[in-house]
Amino acid sequence: MSALPRLPLTVIGGYLGAGKTTLLNRLLSEPHGQKIMVMVNDFGAINIDAALIERADGDTLSLTNGCVCCTMGNDLFMALGDALDRRPRPDHLVIEASGIADPAKIAMAARAEPDMAYGGIAVVVDGENWPKLADDPLIGAQMRGQVQVADVLLVSKTGGALAPNLAVRLAALSRAPLLDLADLPQVAPVLLGGMAPDGVQGGLQGVAADHPAYVGWAHEGAERLERPALEALLAARPAGIYRLKGHVLSPDGALEVHVVGPTIDIKPAQSDSTRVVAIGLASQIDRETIAAWWANAAA
Amino acid sequence: MAPITVFQARKIITMDPNRPEATHVAVRDGRILAVGGADCADQWGPVQHDHSLADAVLMPGMVEGHAHMMAGAMWKFAYAGYHDRMDPQGKWWRGKPDIATVVSDLTDYAQGLPEDQPLIGWGLDPIFFTGERLSRAHLDQISATRPIAIMFSNFHLMCVNSAALALAGYDHTTNVEGVVKGPDGAPTGELQEMAAMFPVMRRLGMDFRGLSQTEDAIESYGAVCMRAGVTTVTDLYSQMEDSDLAVLQAVTGRSSYPARLVPVLGVAGADPETAAARAQALARQGTDKLRLGAVKLMTDGSIQGWTARVKWPGYVGGQPNGIWNMAPDEIRRMVATMQAAGVQMHIHVNGDEASEVAIDAIEEAARHSPWAGARHVLQHCQMMGPDQFARCAELGICTNIFANHIWYFGDQHAALTIGEDRAQRMDGLRAALDAGVHAAIHSDAPVTPLGPLFTAWCAVNRQTMSGRVLGAAQCVSVAEALHAVTLGAAYTLKMDGEVGSIEAGKFADFAILGEDPLAVPAQALKDVPVLGTVLGGTVHLA
Ligand SMILES: [Zn+2]
Ligand SMILES: [Zn+2]
Repeated sequence: MSALPRLPLTVIGGYLGAGKTTLLNRLLSEPHGQKIMVMVNDFGAINIDAALIERADGDTLSLTNGCVCCTMGNDLFMALGDALDRRPRPDHLVIEASGIADPAKIAMAARAEPDMAYGGIAVVVDGENWPKLADDPLIGAQMRGQVQVADVLLVSKTGGALAPNLAVRLAALSRAPLLDLADLPQVAPVLLGGMAPDGVQGGLQGVAADHPAYVGWAHEGAERLERPALEALLAARPAGIYRLKGHVLSPDGALEVHVVGPTIDIKPAQSDSTRVVAIGLASQIDRETIAAWWANAAA
Repeated sequence: MAPITVFQARKIITMDPNRPEATHVAVRDGRILAVGGADCADQWGPVQHDHSLADAVLMPGMVEGHAHMMAGAMWKFAYAGYHDRMDPQGKWWRGKPDIATVVSDLTDYAQGLPEDQPLIGWGLDPIFFTGERLSRAHLDQISATRPIAIMFSNFHLMCVNSAALALAGYDHTTNVEGVVKGPDGAPTGELQEMAAMFPVMRRLGMDFRGLSQTEDAIESYGAVCMRAGVTTVTDLYSQMEDSDLAVLQAVTGRSSYPARLVPVLGVAGADPETAAARAQALARQGTDKLRLGAVKLMTDGSIQGWTARVKWPGYVGGQPNGIWNMAPDEIRRMVATMQAAGVQMHIHVNGDEASEVAIDAIEEAARHSPWAGARHVLQHCQMMGPDQFARCAELGICTNIFANHIWYFGDQHAALTIGEDRAQRMDGLRAALDAGVHAAIHSDAPVTPLGPLFTAWCAVNRQTMSGRVLGAAQCVSVAEALHAVTLGAAYTLKMDGEVGSIEAGKFADFAILGEDPLAVPAQALKDVPVLGTVLGGTVHLA
């Protein structure tokens, strides 16, 4: 087990022109207080605002796709290794996947790699063009596939309201929370968790606690849960929790938990208490509901 | 006046219709001065005769239009493939026909490794094994303590031992797609796709970027070429940085370097305008032994991985149609930009839907920016029929056909991927030539070994591993196949004015052979010994 905190990885997927780069620029300009490293695997690269990167005290790297004749030329994964080896390590790594890419193929690395934490897959859905793209005989399957693997769906260009037929189609493909980007006051809580990086003292910090549009819940205790009990507890979490993370004591050592949308990732950890933070949108959930869920199951 | 050397050979196959055969070739300043008999260059002044190749057969140095530089440096790792294969130093490594041989050969290999070094292998192809699947239990027999990782030949999978699993923290609690588990709930050692392989690769120091662009990688690629009779070779998805250029120029510039290298810049995922400008800037940095300026685009995946985009009726097993690695919209935009900028493109197309999208894109671009001499090249072209070849002829598009697939994967294609009917016509060099398309054939090394005489043998005989002939109607003559690996491939690189035949004015680049490929039975073409090459008049013996 490495002494450094795990590096969380969030992957942003979505077709060309959906608004991935706009979303990244928005994230970088928000006061999330984290050192973010950005990797771009698409030609959005040149559109990332260099000034924002500097302000975020981060770094950006643009990558080309390796030849698929031989995937070994795969720059992207080699660059992941470089990011992990950096000292100081960034607080969060965000990868903008190429328009046609399956973001899960990248995000799965965060579940596989002991030194990384799963930060989820955010897929930007073009509110105007997605239905047409999803029915395209050439790329439709890949467009629908991106939605199927998403942990959170962010709809752009809704013109103020999410079209009901689009919402129905997306819901049929995915259990991920569906958010209108125009309604989100800040994107950092959704993309990063909006919470202070692991290892920082205290529970809930950062924008999630500060912003009235978001509900944050933090808990510290001494309860111990067997892994199957923890998995059952997490599976029964209230709808409306977008993200949950923390350390949970168990009989065979502590466990680190990352929940993003429908995905649950659990890895071994070191901790002397159970500490969990969760976040949702104030319009969909309140702190009492989260607290009651945890208290019941942990009792 | 520079000296004139006249090489004598048992026979010289020139590929020049004006003088198809000769016994002597005169060289001055690295170029061919004259071809014919012993006196062919006498009108140019005093000559020196070189009889060192008098017993050999010379043909034009062969041109590999689609291979990758890592074909050389892969040999830093242990070979675990099914077929016998030669390394850059000319040593033959025995093929491993079953798991027991994999274990025993790699156990021997491990004896030569320092105690603290992992054992990394490559080239394993379990598609050829019957019965049991390779697992950590087998690799644990090689060592229980030394981490072991064996990369499969398709580069999408690997098998690792228990020590490597432990390093990556993989155990029964791991719930990661691609970490294959057995009935007991424990990982079997098989890891599928990069995400699952990454933690092992990272901990074992398997950084494959070092297999290209470094001095060692360039050198060993040159050595592989020389032993295959290749004097002009592509690196068909170069990820070179501007800082790599000096190394490429320096290494290829040495008189001891036995090949002309053609790195083709990979641009999938790049901004079209920026990539076009970079290609144009690189084009100006070329030398006689380093040619730059072309780009490579991706479209679909591979047929044997069921990721190629294929037209109706799809895959016989009902697998979903494949995937695009560049979206058709991106392909169109990239093609339009490159065509307008005057940058030659090589476009990977395996399935027939991918080749159709590429041809459509070029046709559309050509309407806006006519360019008669573009010579864009479709690469692989595995499922193209006469209709698509006819369109290529109309549009001046070249095709570089993956002939080696017939032998390596032909049986699988007929039985498991696209079915009997389309397998018979696949990699159809006959159809391409009949349509009047400029065509080459290739190995895609390291996917299959570099060896144009073997590639030519595949196009001539169309024999599969099971021994059947797959689509006899697509067979070509030995002369046509040899043309495809020389002038045909040179044409796709716009180097047909400089290499590809033995005639006055061209570079003195020859393959040195032990037999006459036009005289041996067509079945024996692949067995013609390659003794080395001559590059720019300098002899390199294997
Ligand atoms: Zn290819
Ligand atoms: Zn290739």
